[in-house]
Amino acid sequence: MPFEALDFYNVDSLLTDEERMVRDMVRDFVDNEVLPKIEHACRDGVFPDEWRVTLGEMGVLGAPLKGYGCPGLSYTAYGVICRELERGDSGLRSFASVQGSLAMYPIWDFGSEEQKNYYLPKMASGEWIGCFGLTEPDYGSNPGDMITRAEDMGDHYLLNGAKMWITNGSIAKVAVVWAKLDGVIRGFIVEDGDEGFSAPEMKGKHSLKASVTSELVFQDCKIPKDRILPGVKGLRGPFSCLNNARYGISWGAIGAAQACFDSAKEYSLSRIQFDHPIASYQLVQNKLSWMLREITKAQLLAYHLSQKKDAGNWIPEHISLAKMNNVDIALEIARVARDIHGANGILDEYPVMRHMANLESVKTYEGTHDIHNLILGRHITGIQSFTRHLS
Amino acid sequence: MNITIIAETSGNQLHSVTSQLAGAAGSLGGTITLLCPGGVGESEASKISGVSKVVSLKGDCFSSFDSGAWSAAMTPHCEGVVIASSSPTGRELASQIASKLGVPVVQDLTEIGQDLKMTRSIYSGKAIETSTASGSCVITLRQNSFESAGSDGNAELITVDSTSEVSVAVKEAMAKAGERLDVSEADIIISGGRGMGDPANFSHLNEVADVIGAAVGASRAAVDSWDEIPHSMQVGQTGKTVNPSLYIAVGISGAIQHLAGMRSSKYIVAINKDPDAPIFGVADYGIVATWEEALPSLKEELAKL
Amino acid sequence: MTIAVLLKQVPDTTAKIAVSEGRVDQGSVSKWSTSPYDEYALEYALQLKESGAGDLVAITCGPSRSSKMLTDAAAVGVDSMLHVEADTSEMDSKQIQSILAAAIKHCGADVVLCGKQAADTNSGSTGPGVASLIGAACVGMVSEVSMDGDGFSALRGSPSGNERVVVSKPCLFAFDKAATELRRPNVKGIMMAKKKVIEKVSPGDLGVDIGESGIKIHAHDSPPEKPPGQKFEGAESVPTVVAKLREEANVI
Ligand SMILES: Cc1cc2nc3c(=O)[nH]c(=O)nc-3n(C[C@H](O)[C@H](O)[C@H](O)COP(=O)(O)OP(=O)(O)OC[C@H]3O[C@@H](n4cnc5c(N)ncnc54)[C@H](O)[C@@H]3O)c2cc1C
Ligand SMILES: Cc1cc2nc3c(=O)[nH]c(=O)nc-3n(C[C@H](O)[C@H](O)[C@H](O)COP(=O)(O)OP(=O)(O)OC[C@H]3O[C@@H](n4cnc5c(N)ncnc54)[C@H](O)[C@@H]3O)c2cc1C
Repeated sequence: MPFEALDFYNVDSLLTDEERMVRDMVRDFVDNEVLPKIEHACRDGVFPDEWRVTLGEMGVLGAPLKGYGCPGLSYTAYGVICRELERGDSGLRSFASVQGSLAMYPIWDFGSEEQKNYYLPKMASGEWIGCFGLTEPDYGSNPGDMITRAEDMGDHYLLNGAKMWITNGSIAKVAVVWAKLDGVIRGFIVEDGDEGFSAPEMKGKHSLKASVTSELVFQDCKIPKDRILPGVKGLRGPFSCLNNARYGISWGAIGAAQACFDSAKEYSLSRIQFDHPIASYQLVQNKLSWMLREITKAQLLAYHLSQKKDAGNWIPEHISLAKMNNVDIALEIARVARDIHGANGILDEYPVMRHMANLESVKTYEGTHDIHNLILGRHITGIQSFTRHLS
Repeated sequence: MNITIIAETSGNQLHSVTSQLAGAAGSLGGTITLLCPGGVGESEASKISGVSKVVSLKGDCFSSFDSGAWSAAMTPHCEGVVIASSSPTGRELASQIASKLGVPVVQDLTEIGQDLKMTRSIYSGKAIETSTASGSCVITLRQNSFESAGSDGNAELITVDSTSEVSVAVKEAMAKAGERLDVSEADIIISGGRGMGDPANFSHLNEVADVIGAAVGASRAAVDSWDEIPHSMQVGQTGKTVNPSLYIAVGISGAIQHLAGMRSSKYIVAINKDPDAPIFGVADYGIVATWEEALPSLKEELAKL
Repeated sequence: MTIAVLLKQVPDTTAKIAVSEGRVDQGSVSKWSTSPYDEYALEYALQLKESGAGDLVAITCGPSRSSKMLTDAAAVGVDSMLHVEADTSEMDSKQIQSILAAAIKHCGADVVLCGKQAADTNSGSTGPGVASLIGAACVGMVSEVSMDGDGFSALRGSPSGNERVVVSKPCLFAFDKAATELRRPNVKGIMMAKKKVIEKVSPGDLGVDIGESGIKIHAHDSPPEKPPGQKFEGAESVPTVVAKLREEANVI
């Protein structure tokens, strides 16, 4: 039976026909190809390659980008895609976010014509997987102080340093890596097989188990001169990618929350304790109605943001608010849903524990919850509080 | 009133549903003519009580099924209300004949009342429609919904040579794998679902079926998961609609699309390990147990009878 | 050559059906979908088109909400769409078939694919009746069709198994469940569908006078509630149930 997502205010009626068709397409993929396999993929700690193929066939990778074989959909459609994918699993949505917003987007926005023609069609079709290397072992929330360096050797660049927590790293053909050249942050395209480049996978995650996370290691990594992204210098490069990915996450989190709500509702109606379904008890109803309230607000937030994004009248702080709020409530909904399921909630027969564990990562990556607080704090007060000189 | 019955055949024999068609026709009152396509079962047909004339249509066009050719040969002999079986071939013939006669067709009736008041189920059993025809019409009747006529008749037998242009040529016939009774033919069906765990476990259903002469059916999940279980066994929305006296569902959850195909069974028995499985909502007798525990005992008990 | 596929929009098979004032309450249907067998017909029609058999037109006769189904069909690759706008709910088989036959002629199609029956009326009259009206060879219970020289080769169910049959055009195939499910659209298809215009006509535009229905529907009713069944715990209850089947139910 096709998934009936909670949509109390019928927010989806605001979508265009085209956006609704895209939604149904992705929902069908998740129902028929993702959900039957997701627990296996998590147990084995792999991202099933057939999902890459199908995402490419559906044509949803790099959704809002136009030209160069990219889909050219609205940002709203991109949001809907993220929501439907994350209803399946945050790892699946992460794959699509990284591919589209973090790897394809910088090439599309800051790349040379040659780079765009060479990389984008193959990335849109899913043939080549991309990854995005910003975070380093010692620099997470504060990427501006990164250590990874590029040196101009005349006929090539030499990269040295390491990136960590890189989604898709070990399975990527194309890595967009941010490194300092003469003290200025620049984007470089590193390809699988480049001399001095390796991408060992990080194992042992309790979260996003169906997503590949890796280190990127550069030891005198030699890359040709035409692999620098000519169009951007400084933190604006990586941050503009993050804006798009965070926007997608603000929608994606709703999908995970809808899945948890759905499971909690079904479970509470069928679970009998003290002679009655637990759904008949006020404490449980309070939890369910709180979930409904938060999901509905998150939907309206995401939808309105999508309209601003499509109209081009947005600021990064708008996105920070939506990412922060929607992931926060999704994680809390997953936790409460887990509670409603009792012991069953820890089993992989129900999706809630998986979503809960996944959302812990989602809360941290793409700017931690508190970093977004600080971004909004700076916006309100005009005073940055990321750092200060401690005497 | 004149009534024309299209005999239903099964290989070289008259299909038993033909007697049910005659039984239903008898209840309407009128002169009953029975058409035997290809002459199949003509002598048996002439013994069905209440039939006054059997028209045995002979000709090359009947050597394989072609509803266009068959209906062209049969339509000139159709008078009054035309009745056929609601089998796949019966429905196809009925609607072609109706179209050639320029009258409407109403399919798969489960009851016929006074003044040809027709009852049929629609929306896969989720609603019932009653209607009447303002003029003549063609109808098809659901198997096992009407009493059979007796076999003490003595109808006049007329043989007619028919020719008509055949446009569907059979190149190859592939027989069904098993010898087993088809679910649409059976009065007792035992069906297995995904809960059987493995297609090899259908052998346990076969064993029970052998004891009581039942057909073995399956849910779509079983058909889709396992190549060994052919679609011809599928009961439900996109499988067969069955109407047996007894339907035994084993390891079937009772999804709405499965119910669509079997909810009109006279009695339903469900064996499922999940006490909340929706199948128990339609079962007359539910047994909360695994099939591994229940089937051996079921076989034993049935064998005692 | 033009291939036509006939599609009907019906309540989704999971939707609840409510009856009010003697008719199924269409307004209360939560979700409308393409009738399942029609989806198989559409998939194989697309395959025929892709093997070079010709252009593919999707035809429906139904109320205005059915247009969405045609747009969905365009997203998976049909070339053009014809929507005969009419309320078919009280039409008899003859009326609906005459409209569809005229629509097929209007499109110039000589190969027609459809489902063996629709999930609402559950009749199975349309395909064969239309075949008869347009003078096409009719193959029912089809689970596969492909081009074979100038004609077509199809696999159809028969009482004793399966048969491979060949026909030449004009011909009509009424689909049973088939091996290949309807493909999922992709973004390209969805964007293209947006640009394709659905041709909308009335039965009158096609020159059809459907006249009066020969069938008068008296009522739709909800099926009678079954009395609640008896439930037994454990395999120990099997002898009890068998005894009841024999004594209460009299079925064995
Ligand atoms: C599964 C996964 C996948 C990832 N994928 C990628 C990827 O593809 N590419 C990539 O570049 N990165 C990726 N990351 C890295 C991610 O972006 C970082 O983890 C994130 O930016 C936080 O950095 P950190 O983990 O070093 O935490 P830290 O920056 O060390 O933060 C630790 C804690 O301190 C808080 N904190 C930090 N600074 C302040 C401050 N000034 N005031 C108050 N509180 C503060 C944070 O909010 C947090 O709670 C991924 C991470 C995970 C978990
Ligand atoms: C358009 C459409 C058309 C469809 N058409 C059909 C159709 O024609 N026919 C059809 O059947 N379905 C059809 N379906 C599919 C339907 O929705 C269900 O998916 C299907 O019926 C489920 O089959 P099942 O009951 O065998 O499997 P499940 O729903 O997986 O149920 C298996 C059952 O087995 C029980 N079980 C497990 N182990 C044991 C054991 N050891 N002993 C006893 N019980 C056990 C479980 O408790 C469970 O209830 C259709 C769906 C759609 C969308």
